[in-house]
Amino acid sequence: MASSTVSRVRRQLPSSPWLFAAPGLLITGAFILYPFVSTLVNAFTDRRTLIPGEFVGLANFSELLHDDMFWIGLRNSTLYVLVVVPALVVLPLLLALLVQKNIPGITFFRSAFYTPVVASIVVVGLIWVWLLDERGLVNSVLEAIGVGRVGFLSDQWLLLLSAMAVTVWKGLGYYMIIYLAALANVPRELHEAAAVDGAGAVRRFLSVTVPAVRSTMVLVGALSSVAAFKVFSEVYLMAGPSGGPAGEDTTLVMLVQRTGTGLTGRVGYASAISVVVFVVTVALMLLVLRADRKDAS
Amino acid sequence: MPLSRRALAAAFAVCVALPLSACGSSGGGSADADASGKVEGDITFQTWNLRANFKDYFEGVIAGFEKKYPGTKVKWIDQPAEGYADKISADAAGGTLPDVVNVSPDLVAPLAKAGLALDLDKVAAKYKKEYLDGAWASHQVPGLQGTYAFPWYLNTGPLFYNKTLFKEAGLDPEQPPKTYDEVFDAALTMAEKTDGKVATLANVPTIEDFGRYGVPLMNKEGTAFAFNDTKGVELLTKYKELYDAKALDPQALTATPESSGKKFLTGAVAMNPGSALDLGNFKKQAPNLYKNIGITDQITSTGHVNMYVMGVMVNAQTKRTPAAVAFAHYVTDAEHQMSFAKKVAIFPSTAGSLDDPYFTKEDGTDETRVRVAAAKSLKNAVNYTPVLFSEQMKTALRNEVAKALQGKESPKEALDNAVEACDRLLRQQG
Repeated sequence: MASSTVSRVRRQLPSSPWLFAAPGLLITGAFILYPFVSTLVNAFTDRRTLIPGEFVGLANFSELLHDDMFWIGLRNSTLYVLVVVPALVVLPLLLALLVQKNIPGITFFRSAFYTPVVASIVVVGLIWVWLLDERGLVNSVLEAIGVGRVGFLSDQWLLLLSAMAVTVWKGLGYYMIIYLAALANVPRELHEAAAVDGAGAVRRFLSVTVPAVRSTMVLVGALSSVAAFKVFSEVYLMAGPSGGPAGEDTTLVMLVQRTGTGLTGRVGYASAISVVVFVVTVALMLLVLRADRKDAS
Repeated sequence: MPLSRRALAAAFAVCVALPLSACGSSGGGSADADASGKVEGDITFQTWNLRANFKDYFEGVIAGFEKKYPGTKVKWIDQPAEGYADKISADAAGGTLPDVVNVSPDLVAPLAKAGLALDLDKVAAKYKKEYLDGAWASHQVPGLQGTYAFPWYLNTGPLFYNKTLFKEAGLDPEQPPKTYDEVFDAALTMAEKTDGKVATLANVPTIEDFGRYGVPLMNKEGTAFAFNDTKGVELLTKYKELYDAKALDPQALTATPESSGKKFLTGAVAMNPGSALDLGNFKKQAPNLYKNIGITDQITSTGHVNMYVMGVMVNAQTKRTPAAVAFAHYVTDAEHQMSFAKKVAIFPSTAGSLDDPYFTKEDGTDETRVRVAAAKSLKNAVNYTPVLFSEQMKTALRNEVAKALQGKESPKEALDNAVEACDRLLRQQG
């Protein structure tokens, strides 16, 4: 009876599954599929913002190879991944272990650590610019203790490191919450058994906690590496639209924005850079997942 | 299942075809335009971050126009300053550009090249005599025949300096520097006396600075940049000397006009260019600075100060050409520019307006002193920003200048590279 009703409905409404999926498909098509294919197509044209392009084959990719700014962008985005990702895999875990304890007032600290996550990146960026300015709070303190002023916002490497610090500071709370959920699932008995066997806190952390949250660490690694490679706001806000001194702090996504926007934007060339960003991002994800499978086996 | 395959194939085809077919025309948008018909219909008018402070003024202008031309209706849109060029480019690419648009010369150039700006020499030449010659010419684009926007308001400004900082460094606050050499000398003295803690300048040289220093910016045909000549190298070499002595703020390499303005407000730098508008800000945000503010003329070696020009462009694809042209002219005519200038510290681009007593008579206040001096200098001012100088070119120049200041390249190498990069971008603009 039930199966005959289902087949009757299917006969009457052969497209009903599509109707149900239509809103989602439309949104996916309009805001993900179309822009994606559009970028892919544009990468092989010399299209500009107001002038339709012509097919140029691999010319944009060939130009990339000789564009110093592209290599600077690739270097900075890669450095961002190499520095930020390990920090965002390890530090939130330690933070989660700290705030996991049920002691009075711990909710305040959990909320405090999470606050940067909900704060606007523009506000956060501006606050850090004021703090790290030549005459900002940090430099005033350094000067008072005799270290002297440090050019956090005028030295290309310090500027990049400062932006990385902001990314880590802002991301700590988010990944801490993910780790807290994972830690809640670690059986207490394992810790107790290890303690009985004479394992200290560090040993229990390495032999019990880390293996138990390993899959979460992989997830955090994958998420943060993709986000780090695509970094834009922090560096843009701290280094300025030109990407720091002589553009040396430009990241790949900043380069996409700078090259492809405005009335004279080179949409085709910017699309080619976007394709490179996409390929590297996918490769990063695969790398992390592959490392995870290797470790698991 | 066949349905799903077909649907997927269709979706994919649409995704591939649409990007290829998108985007607008190229060149020649005013060929058939005619502004001589009846002024009627609905038009849209877009301004550049003006609603917050001048809502009543623009509503009055629009009401006046609708009364003068019954049957017209103007819809006013205001866009924030941030990302204005991006908004225009999105509208232009999407075919939703308003009928009348507030633009600057560098925004007009790509729109004119894409055939989206109406050539006023063809459809509104009769109004040309109402404007200052230099202002009318400011919306002409090298390589194209025609004028692509009505000139609107002009602005220029003096150089402000902090008298207290001058005094502390042993400089005479009543004798501010008047030439580039004097500025450089004062800056080096300031750095030396304050042990590098107070810089005099907060910005690296821009294309306008090269222009005011007397460096030729482009060749006569407007087809290539030329600011890498001896004079350009000389200016950059001077800046390098200032940077090494900390007479140029160490954060100048990443500074924006906003950040350097803030540094001047907080007394971190001693001099900063500005306009009459800034006096109000000083009074409100830094009363102590305002009490000790020094005002001197914009430094120039050419005898011409730099001016900024705003324009009002008519969309070449408007369906209401007569109404759009009439409104663009109405907003920018002498009467309305004069009334706008009395609301805010800007200057009209209409012929004769700068001779009005409002711009020639001082009443003893700093505001009128700055206004009268600026109006006087505007009569032979030059817009040193080349119309074809895009944002990408500004970045290329800025980055090469930074390399020279850091000592990674010699000033000559840096300017040669900047010119090469700008020429390449110019060729790519088409």
